[in-house]
Amino acid sequence: MNKLNLLSLALVAALPTSAYAELKISGYGSLIAGKTLGTVNDPLNPGQTRDEILTADFYDVGQYDNDITFKAESILAVQATYSFSPELSMTAQLVAKGVDDFSPEFDWYYVTYQATDNLSFMAGRRNIPMYYFSEYAEVGYAYPWMRPPSNLYWWQVTQFDGAHVMYSFDIGDYSSTITAFYGNEYSNDNVEMLYYDKLYGGSAQTVNEFWTDITGFNWNVSGDWFDLRFVYFQNDRDRETIQQDGSINPYTPFSQTFIGVGGSATLSDFTLLFDMNFVEYDDAVGTEFPTYLVSLVYNWGDFQPYIAYSKADHERTKVPTEDLEEHYMLSYGVRYDFLPNAALKLQYDDFVDQGHEPTGWAYHGDARAISFGIDFVF
Amino acid sequence: MFNVKPFNVMKVCMLITMFCLFTPTFVLANVSIIVHPSNDSSFDKASIKKIFLGKSKRFSNGKTAILISADHSDPATSEFNSKVIGKSSSQIKAYWSKILFTGKGTPPQEMSSNGEIINAISSNPDAIGFISADAVSDSVKVVATF
Repeated sequence: MNKLNLLSLALVAALPTSAYAELKISGYGSLIAGKTLGTVNDPLNPGQTRDEILTADFYDVGQYDNDITFKAESILAVQATYSFSPELSMTAQLVAKGVDDFSPEFDWYYVTYQATDNLSFMAGRRNIPMYYFSEYAEVGYAYPWMRPPSNLYWWQVTQFDGAHVMYSFDIGDYSSTITAFYGNEYSNDNVEMLYYDKLYGGSAQTVNEFWTDITGFNWNVSGDWFDLRFVYFQNDRDRETIQQDGSINPYTPFSQTFIGVGGSATLSDFTLLFDMNFVEYDDAVGTEFPTYLVSLVYNWGDFQPYIAYSKADHERTKVPTEDLEEHYMLSYGVRYDFLPNAALKLQYDDFVDQGHEPTGWAYHGDARAISFGIDFVF
Repeated sequence: MFNVKPFNVMKVCMLITMFCLFTPTFVLANVSIIVHPSNDSSFDKASIKKIFLGKSKRFSNGKTAILISADHSDPATSEFNSKVIGKSSSQIKAYWSKILFTGKGTPPQEMSSNGEIINAISSNPDAIGFISADAVSDSVKVVATF
């Protein structure tokens, strides 16, 4: 990367500005192995036991069971950014995931136009800026844990094709950025939704999941010792569950709103990370998902021991149903920055399913898992 | 109000001394922030920090800053990160990795020798960098030393 940069810097210096062109290659990756530690009574097949299953990546259905695997959440990504001019650039990320047998796909591609110092536009395929860690959820090097708590980062749609407008300004000593975004995602052959269909005994050919008119904003404020982010967006939801005979299950479309506040604060040697979110459907039963996460990290030289608690709940406000999906995860681990661009991580997760078993809402089942590996950037 | 016995004071002093002995202290050269001699912008620790975190894009003279960093093996890097930014080099790398891989900015360019850094800064009116204070030469302007 350095040599390439030097070369391009030299080129930039040597050429007139009209011929401005620069290519930058960078990347990130995680090589992580893990397994669960025991067996549980299968919540969907009473009387039977099965391996504990910890879903590390809901979107891609990357899971750990009793057999150690590298495939659940290992990832390698290469990013190329080509600058046509100081204002205009194009970025693409080629991402290979263990869950896809490392077959590479262009997961991100977008153009960026820096109109002024404070105003920029992006258009293309990116992660939906949902949770505090959503945009860089796969960049393991960027946070202390093995992964952002997967029982919150559980949505079947994480990316979209859209447009973003970003405006930065200072509020006193604080830096602030407001990002407005709009986009759509037509997720054909949705992996997570097909997994649920099979889990509940279905045999659908495929499930197509549609999130349309995704419209919202983020507001980020940061100072010397803290970073705070608000998010609001809404979108329309629709789904096609296509059976083997080609018939499509009836489905009632609805709209959802997502609001949240998350951030980090560093006080002395401790960093507090938190994220609180609330998702609401305008469906017939009044579905709501309140979720939150809180984590404390101790910055001890090259070591960052941490603890994280994340809780997800599922409620219906328009019908008298109390117990649906509900779970929490308690994770302990340590990150060790053993090289300037690589970190070793070890994490223990205790996933506790508090869902309502008789109605099938305890479908995850309890799980205890160990995972370890390396996150790196280049 | 407090009846402090000399014995206790001594004990406390001993404890503090022991604590200091066992706390690693790194004695390193100071780090100097350098710019092109023609750059007449004003700098203080807060403005340097904002520039190197990508939160300010311009110098007070209105020009867009071009950031140059020593590489990770240079002690000046950890010195700069801890004294000016207040974070470890790994924390800074993690900070930039979320910005870089979400397309919201570009980290400072790393250069591997003092000569290279001085060369780049002395030949670019808008560049800013840092090097070990004892490696400074006349071809660049020191705006602060920490």
